[in-house]
Amino acid sequence: MKNSLIMYLVKQDLIDSYSGSILGGLWSFIIPLVNITVFIVIFSKIMGAKLNVLGVDFQEYSYSIYLVSGVLAWNYFSNTLVRITNIFNEKAGLITKVNTNLLVLPLYIIISESVIFFISMSFFLLFLLIIGFPVTKYWMVLIIIYFLQSIFAYGLGLFLATLSVFIKDISEFTRVIVQLWFWFTPLVYVMDILPEKYKIIFELNPMYHIVNAYRDVIVRSQLPDMYSLSLFFIFSMFLFLCAVYFFRKLEKDIRDFI
Amino acid sequence: MIKISGISKKFKLYNKPIDRLKEIILRKKYHHIYNALHDISFEVKDGETLGILGVNGAGKSTLLKIISGVLIPDSGSLSIDGKITGLLELGTGFNKDLTGLQNIVGNGLLIGMSTEEIDQQRDNIIDFSELGEFIKEPLRTYSSGMVMRLAFSIAMHAKPDCFLIDEALSVGDAHFQQKCMRHIKTFKQQGGSLIFVSHDLNAVKMICDHAIVLDKGHIVAKGSPEYAVNHYNRIMAQLDDQDKRITATENQTNNQDYGNHKAKIINAVISGVDSESNIVSSGEKIDIQIEIMPYEMLTDMSIGILIRDRFGQDIYGTNSEHLMQTSVFEKEQPYIATFSFVAAINPGKYTVTIALHSQNTHIEDCYHWVDNIIGFEVAGFKGTQFVGVCDLNASLIVNNALNNSYGVFNK
Repeated sequence: MKNSLIMYLVKQDLIDSYSGSILGGLWSFIIPLVNITVFIVIFSKIMGAKLNVLGVDFQEYSYSIYLVSGVLAWNYFSNTLVRITNIFNEKAGLITKVNTNLLVLPLYIIISESVIFFISMSFFLLFLLIIGFPVTKYWMVLIIIYFLQSIFAYGLGLFLATLSVFIKDISEFTRVIVQLWFWFTPLVYVMDILPEKYKIIFELNPMYHIVNAYRDVIVRSQLPDMYSLSLFFIFSMFLFLCAVYFFRKLEKDIRDFI
Repeated sequence: MIKISGISKKFKLYNKPIDRLKEIILRKKYHHIYNALHDISFEVKDGETLGILGVNGAGKSTLLKIISGVLIPDSGSLSIDGKITGLLELGTGFNKDLTGLQNIVGNGLLIGMSTEEIDQQRDNIIDFSELGEFIKEPLRTYSSGMVMRLAFSIAMHAKPDCFLIDEALSVGDAHFQQKCMRHIKTFKQQGGSLIFVSHDLNAVKMICDHAIVLDKGHIVAKGSPEYAVNHYNRIMAQLDDQDKRITATENQTNNQDYGNHKAKIINAVISGVDSESNIVSSGEKIDIQIEIMPYEMLTDMSIGILIRDRFGQDIYGTNSEHLMQTSVFEKEQPYIATFSFVAAINPGKYTVTIALHSQNTHIEDCYHWVDNIIGFEVAGFKGTQFVGVCDLNASLIVNNALNNSYGVFNK
């Protein structure tokens, strides 16, 4: 499968799906912008002063910064995961007609969601610069975190996508799990409010480490915990390889079954 | 060049989706096997065309999907030199909200063209599609014929080394079909391999160099298109013996059937001498056998047949009187009358009406008349081709007008 085809699918996803509307591809920018604005405006006014949890007190925006830094990364992850899970069913029309590399196909979703994520992060960065929040050189590390997170989403997504060809319910099941997962990851709340004995359970959640790494860089202006990131990397690679192996085993059946 | 050796493909069929999960977990068999293809081997050399014939469910589509790489065979190997494009993926990924131009890019990429190739071919594609200014309009404003024309034009310009054509060619108007045919012929001349799947036996005979017949996943015939088509017709005839070789008795309810029944048409069978079925080639000899039972002694009975085309137009009719073959029929003695003739008529579907009457017309005393009692199809040519309704068996002599005495330009 050629790169140009992947890029075409991305373009179709981001721009062509809005064709016919007046603003067209601009909608891909408007939606994340509105999201961020809502988070910042609502939560800074309503909850801003009530939480002082960051170690960094930044006026009424403290909570908004904490929230947005985690939620953007989470949205990228959850959208990618849910969409990859359904990819073989969604693109069945293509897969059954044209010789497609099924391992490469999910890349278009990763790229497409990455573009949205990147746009969102840019808006967020702009906001931080406007309010004078410190933006440090550690932001460079975000690229590594982003890559790790993408490998994890691809591996898990591919595994679920393979299953969902045979069990259609997997697709809906993933949506539900992602909803629960959201609340079991400290995105809207802080770890400190949890009883000490439960913290260990939360730390088994891979996404906790990713979200935490983003916050280390963005909110706390420090290097993320490299030890937990290394563990996350090993775990993601393991999952990735297992998923590819599992997929290869079943590829023939996937193609038959779609 | 396409080389296929020993390809087999089984499908596991499950009654319920959950059975599949149960099988994985409980390690117990919940499926039954469907043998779609069994030990298929053939070769298509550069510049050659292979026809694939077979009734529905014979495995044609599975085979094409394996060749195009959409499905993976259980065993066997296939080697394909160069790029392969199928007309089976016609219009894949078309987005009706985008313009024709935008869809050329999307569809082109999907069927394996590179961005540069699309840029090079864009004007040719637009020309070929004859869409004109419409190419700048969204696809939803197109008629279905226009969408197909665009899809064809893109596929035709994908410049593959091997081309798979599935049935698809039957869409579009005659003018566009002919254009596609010409394009395919050029493609062949330039050394491209072609696999052609069709129910249009005429087209198979015209385009293909070889043909195979698939039946229940096996190759049952392999050879010249003529041979394969005849074999295919035989399978068709066996498959629905009852409804193809329609018998008079079961058909009486459906068809116009009248007369005073002094004699009755008991049965009628039509069969090509080579094809042994009711699908024949133009130019092939046909026998129509009619079983007759007179209920009185009849001295003046005439047996007549009338062949009509699909528009109900009379193509040819004759009877015992015209053929000067009248005879005396004994009471309650079965007779068999056989009309033999060469089907020198154009490909198409025809029906035969049979009548028993006195003298040479049915108006005076009609014993039994059954409209459209049997049908047959003429598919493809055996011998010389022609256009129009029937073969008038023309001959042609061309002489140089200056050098001989026959010319009108003699000095």
